[in-house]
Amino acid sequence: MGKKANNKNCHTSGNERIAGLPKIALVGTPNVGKSVIFNRLTGKYVTVSNYPGTTVEISRGKGHIGHCEFEIMDTPGMYSLMPITEEERVARRLLLEEKPDVVLHIVDAKNIKRMLPFTLQLIEAGLPVILVLNVMDEAERLGIKIDAYKLRQKLGIPVVVTSAALNKGIKELKQEVADYVGSIAA
Amino acid sequence: MSAVLQPETVKYDETIEKAIEDIIDSLKGGYNISKRSIAVLLLQGDDEIKHMVSRLEGDGWQRISDILSETQKTYNEPLSYIMAMERQKLAWSIADDIVEEDKAADKSINERLSRLTMSPITGIPILLIVLYLGLYQFVGVFGAGVVVDFIEGTIFEQYINPWINGLLIQYVPWPALRDLIGMDYGIITLGLRYAVAIILPIVGTFFFMFSIIEDSGYLPRIAMLLDRVFKKIGLNGRAVIPMTLGFGCDTMATLVTRTLETTRERVIATLLLALAIPCSAQLGVVLGLLSGHTAALVTWVVVVIGVLLLIGYLAAKVIPGERPAFFMEVPPLRWPSLSNVWMKTYTRMQWYFIEVMPLFILASVIIWLGNLTGLFGLIISWLEPLMHALGLPSEAAEAFLFGFFRRDYGAGGLYDLQKAGLLNGRQLAVAASTLTLFVPCIAQFSIMWKERGAKTTLGIVAFIIPFAFAVGYVLNKILILLGVS
Repeated sequence: MGKKANNKNCHTSGNERIAGLPKIALVGTPNVGKSVIFNRLTGKYVTVSNYPGTTVEISRGKGHIGHCEFEIMDTPGMYSLMPITEEERVARRLLLEEKPDVVLHIVDAKNIKRMLPFTLQLIEAGLPVILVLNVMDEAERLGIKIDAYKLRQKLGIPVVVTSAALNKGIKELKQEVADYVGSIAA
Repeated sequence: MSAVLQPETVKYDETIEKAIEDIIDSLKGGYNISKRSIAVLLLQGDDEIKHMVSRLEGDGWQRISDILSETQKTYNEPLSYIMAMERQKLAWSIADDIVEEDKAADKSINERLSRLTMSPITGIPILLIVLYLGLYQFVGVFGAGVVVDFIEGTIFEQYINPWINGLLIQYVPWPALRDLIGMDYGIITLGLRYAVAIILPIVGTFFFMFSIIEDSGYLPRIAMLLDRVFKKIGLNGRAVIPMTLGFGCDTMATLVTRTLETTRERVIATLLLALAIPCSAQLGVVLGLLSGHTAALVTWVVVVIGVLLLIGYLAAKVIPGERPAFFMEVPPLRWPSLSNVWMKTYTRMQWYFIEVMPLFILASVIIWLGNLTGLFGLIISWLEPLMHALGLPSEAAEAFLFGFFRRDYGAGGLYDLQKAGLLNGRQLAVAASTLTLFVPCIAQFSIMWKERGAKTTLGIVAFIIPFAFAVGYVLNKILILLGVS
């Protein structure tokens, strides 16, 4: 009971959770840096490579954000909410069955145009989405500028900018998650 | 902030929106995602969702099913396509509003280099340079040469082995037990020595190199480059990753064939890994063995690549199944981050030791049992005529038998023969080629069994053993005909 009481404010809804921890799911297209962000949030290490398809199974870890402890779940890449391959099915099943409290949709900022349809699907599904524009350093180098504030207004969801491999924006991402969870609990 | 903007959401055309509404009205079950989303996925023909909804709705499913088929009838194109286009339209209009692209920004160097690596005329030489520097110089010369010489030649042979053997002779009166722990083939003097002195440096340098190549984004480019060649041997570009990993450790590579799409490709890749891809340990010893004989080295390379292509080509003809199309996203070229390269090398080494180390020890124990019972002497005496048929001396039989336990034990045995001056250039080429093709090591064999099943594995081994000897026999005859010695 004590553990639950400590984590009380972290609960976003009345849902009883087996592990007692609120859940964060990382989803997105292959090779956008989900595993890097997973490693940053949990302090664990899952294999990271520069090619699509490195993660084929779900990895789970724990991480502290604000004063709460979360269960964080890394998923194989998927291109849309409608799966084609087995790995994509694994990732979607997690969204359907685990009721994550926060879904971080991680995209490669360079290819935002191609990745937004998936964001729209996640919003349509009523999932608690935060959009993470990752690999921003490369986008900037290519001369791509994104108005994250405007995007936030247009989509009606939080938008965070990161360059996870360089450890940039991770603090802001954590802050955003903490605010988001707090706002739903309130 | 007074103007509260309404978030933009996807709106489909009237017919589809009407269908969505009707489906939502019919959905009575509890779902973890919005009913609108369930309806949208149903209309797009999502089988898994259909299955779930029909189970949850029971009798109500019929009505939903009717709405689905009726709505699709209104359109010539699949609804999944029409609805995806609708989403894309909105996504693009949002993106156009928030993205500003400076076309003048410099993206030329990265893109030009990227194109060079994928066009055959420049890509093949670049690949050869990478292989030469990364595989031959770094793994072969530095890892298998400098580092192995130090750990094996200095640390083990001068310090650990004499110390262990001295202790054994002093305190252990039973020769059989002495042989199990130390002496020529003991757990410490053979199993542990091989694991730490030979495997650690070779596999470590290989994984380090491989991680750098992986993180730079070069692998998918090799995949694009070699896709056409790989298609001829029943695979496609995707198989480049397990096949190149095979040069590090065929056992790990056999596990990674999971990433291939069809069973057919997995079987072909498993066969080729077992047959014609030497692992780094074996590669290191073979390169050391043949380094003094350029002609033998070239012969070996030609034979092994020839067999790889020939058997792949034939396997592709014989093994039934569909051929998947190749699609792979090519990520940008990037500077690898040293900490990730280090971390990845470390976790792979850890895996390697946990999975494979017990098998080394097991191999030592089996060799000990084989020697103790005289079984090995018997098998070696059977192998001797086979050796003569290949034009090799009787002593080579031992190398071939040990080759089954570890790919490199075999090559290591040849090394001793060559040092003793028992092999000429022709015999070196024949022995190295046959041993490379000859059966996978015990660890790889057991992973093949686990991943592909008993039938496929035994089939592959039953093919490889006679085939490897046949290649050796023919190669020997050809070389004799050509007057090579």
